[in-house]
Amino acid sequence: MKKIGEICNLSDLKVGQKAKVIKINEDNRVVRRHLLDMGITRGVEIMIKKIAPMGDPIDISLRGYELCISKRDLQMIEVEVIR
Amino acid sequence: MKIALVGNQNSGKTTLFNTLTGMNAKIGNWPGVTIEKKTGIIKGTDFELTDLPGIYSLSPYSVEEDLSRKFVFDENPNIIINIIDSTSLERSLYLTTQLLELDCKVIVALNMVDILEKKGLIIDENKLGQVLGTKVLKISALKGTGIEELIQEIKKPIDVEQTYIYDTNMEEAIKKVESSINTSSLHKRFLAVKLLENDERFENISNEKIKNIAKELSQNYDTDLEEIIATERYQFIEQVKKQSVIKKETEESISDKLDKIFLNKFLALPIFILIMFLIYFLSVGVVGNLTVDWITGLVDIARENIGSALSKIGASEWVNSLIVDGIIAGVGAVLGFIPQLIILFVCIAILETTGYMSRIALLLDKLFRKIGLSGKSLIPFIVGAGCSVPGIMGTRIIENQAEREMTTILTPFIPCSAKLPIIALFSGYFFGKKSGFVSASLYFLAVAIIIISAIIMKKFVFKKTNNVFISELPEYKLPNMKYIAKDVLDKVIAFIKRAGSVILVCSIVIWFLLSFSFKLEYGVDVEKSILASIGKSISWAFYPMLGENSWGAAVSAIQGLVAKEQVISSMSVISGLAEEAETANSMFQKGIFNFFTASSAYAFMIFNLFSAPCFGAIGAMKRELGSNRKVLKALAYQTIFAWSLATIAYQIGSRLENGTLNMANILIISGIAIIVIKVLSGMKKETKNGCRNCPYSNSCKEHDNK
Repeated sequence: MKKIGEICNLSDLKVGQKAKVIKINEDNRVVRRHLLDMGITRGVEIMIKKIAPMGDPIDISLRGYELCISKRDLQMIEVEVIR
Repeated sequence: MKIALVGNQNSGKTTLFNTLTGMNAKIGNWPGVTIEKKTGIIKGTDFELTDLPGIYSLSPYSVEEDLSRKFVFDENPNIIINIIDSTSLERSLYLTTQLLELDCKVIVALNMVDILEKKGLIIDENKLGQVLGTKVLKISALKGTGIEELIQEIKKPIDVEQTYIYDTNMEEAIKKVESSINTSSLHKRFLAVKLLENDERFENISNEKIKNIAKELSQNYDTDLEEIIATERYQFIEQVKKQSVIKKETEESISDKLDKIFLNKFLALPIFILIMFLIYFLSVGVVGNLTVDWITGLVDIARENIGSALSKIGASEWVNSLIVDGIIAGVGAVLGFIPQLIILFVCIAILETTGYMSRIALLLDKLFRKIGLSGKSLIPFIVGAGCSVPGIMGTRIIENQAEREMTTILTPFIPCSAKLPIIALFSGYFFGKKSGFVSASLYFLAVAIIIISAIIMKKFVFKKTNNVFISELPEYKLPNMKYIAKDVLDKVIAFIKRAGSVILVCSIVIWFLLSFSFKLEYGVDVEKSILASIGKSISWAFYPMLGENSWGAAVSAIQGLVAKEQVISSMSVISGLAEEAETANSMFQKGIFNFFTASSAYAFMIFNLFSAPCFGAIGAMKRELGSNRKVLKALAYQTIFAWSLATIAYQIGSRLENGTLNMANILIISGIAIIVIKVLSGMKKETKNGCRNCPYSNSCKEHDNK
């Protein structure tokens, strides 16, 4: 389990952990914009809420709502663990 | 006055649209129910209201966002009603910040305020309106509260005031760009922001000066302006939220509790299978079949009574025949399935409105990825069990184009409600007590065909699938009985209308073609009728799957293109007019169709279920695939696949029936087939690895080049 203060990708976190977004490493402009539009911007706090029964996609909670997102996309989001 | 209804997916737009217009557009509890814009008139006014598909942003990247953007620019609505799910205020306001950049009066309607309390939220709508610089109203589209106030607000005079949300550098740059846009167009601030974002769609109005402004501005930041603008929008919203929203801590929500069961690692799949089985059992299986038997009994009684009544009042023979053998036989044959359809439609509506459908997409996403589809493909498939047309249109919720097109081509393989009559009739008669098992096998076959086809397409046609899955997970909701009733009623009425129009006309045409010869003599033996001649010219194509040159079956199968239930209608009319055996109480006991055996019945079902869908669905495929060539390819694939499968099923089945083939033989033959395939694929590999090992290397042209 990643420790508080550690820098990693959002996909490395366990259920219940929380992290702050540092950077989005997605190169595909369409996907990148989609992530931004859904509120995944620098500084936002994201919690891992649920994981699909087969391990992918993952349900995250941010800005007061829940978003399902695939593991591949989470790998593109660099975060600092805060819980 | 023109008014546009804009909001996120699943924010209750269509519910508000229905409340305002009194119309009955389709709603559901999954993101993306509305895929095309709908227009209606607000009750008691002459205002034209347009319901646009749900969007999260005015980016140029998705079909829906593009459609909404085009609407705003081309139609220039006077007012935009921005409906917001007030329980996800922060994300919803992101779209609002973009709408506020348009030269347009924006009214923000905070929807679902009735559940705010449960979520521990208190929103000060006046404060919110003050900071946003626009009018904010609280409503509940479902319960109808706040609607009157909303209509009053629409009637008020229009004054647009600008809200500034970015940091000073950005605001200055926007101002500079605004003055450099040399068109006299509206929405200059919006355009300026898009130009700074480097939006490709507005490339044509950009110029050197604007590009320089953007370049200069971006030096202030360590990333592109698209990200900066999105970040600053959200920073503004965070400030807005701090001033107008109070959040109290709440207990775990009911949705979270339910998801602990429905999305449990071990229980999720069994629950899903159980639910699917239950739907099948209720609509297609035992319960559905009971209702069909009952109704077809009624139709038979009606047929006899009307026939004798007509002869009593002295109607001539051909009139009697037209009504009894043509119209009642044809239309009655499909009307009998209405109770079964009602059960199926109710089941699908419940899946759609409770929010479980989004969980299925989440649950099966990983499995679907393996065959090149998205978890979201499942939604078109489930909707397609009712009707392929909305199923195919629902593919728009899938982001990736390849996955979307694959799903469009695969959705018609799911037996739709119009194919139910075919399944029920054939399996009921030929398989008796095993009919439940047989009809279930056809659904499993559909799943197998989809998996195999997806793998084939992924390998040869659509190579560029990816793993993007970004979707909101809606909360569970209790199904709204009023809406389910309306939805089901609409679909049933559509089915009855089709029976009263398309099927009716087809039945009359079929009756005519059957009753007359080419010399236009009435009352000829059906074997000498026009239809028989047409059928005989194509019946050879069906010989391999029927073991009989049946013109009756051939012409009926072709009519499936009009509507799949027409296959049954046509067979019913043909058998009614054909030479009648005294004891015949089913079409399969009459001379013309008595060749059907269990295996040819099964093969015939396979062909009708999986070949090219009806014209309605073909039209929907055309709209989604965009090109005639792709549609033709897809139809050819479906039909050839169905034909081959039907033929294989008959050839194996009939040999099992008459004992020339037994299980041992099948195993031996399939063993040989596997060896042959292995050897062939091995040979292919060798040629790939180099030509030296290939036995044809000396005479092969390619060899010279290597």
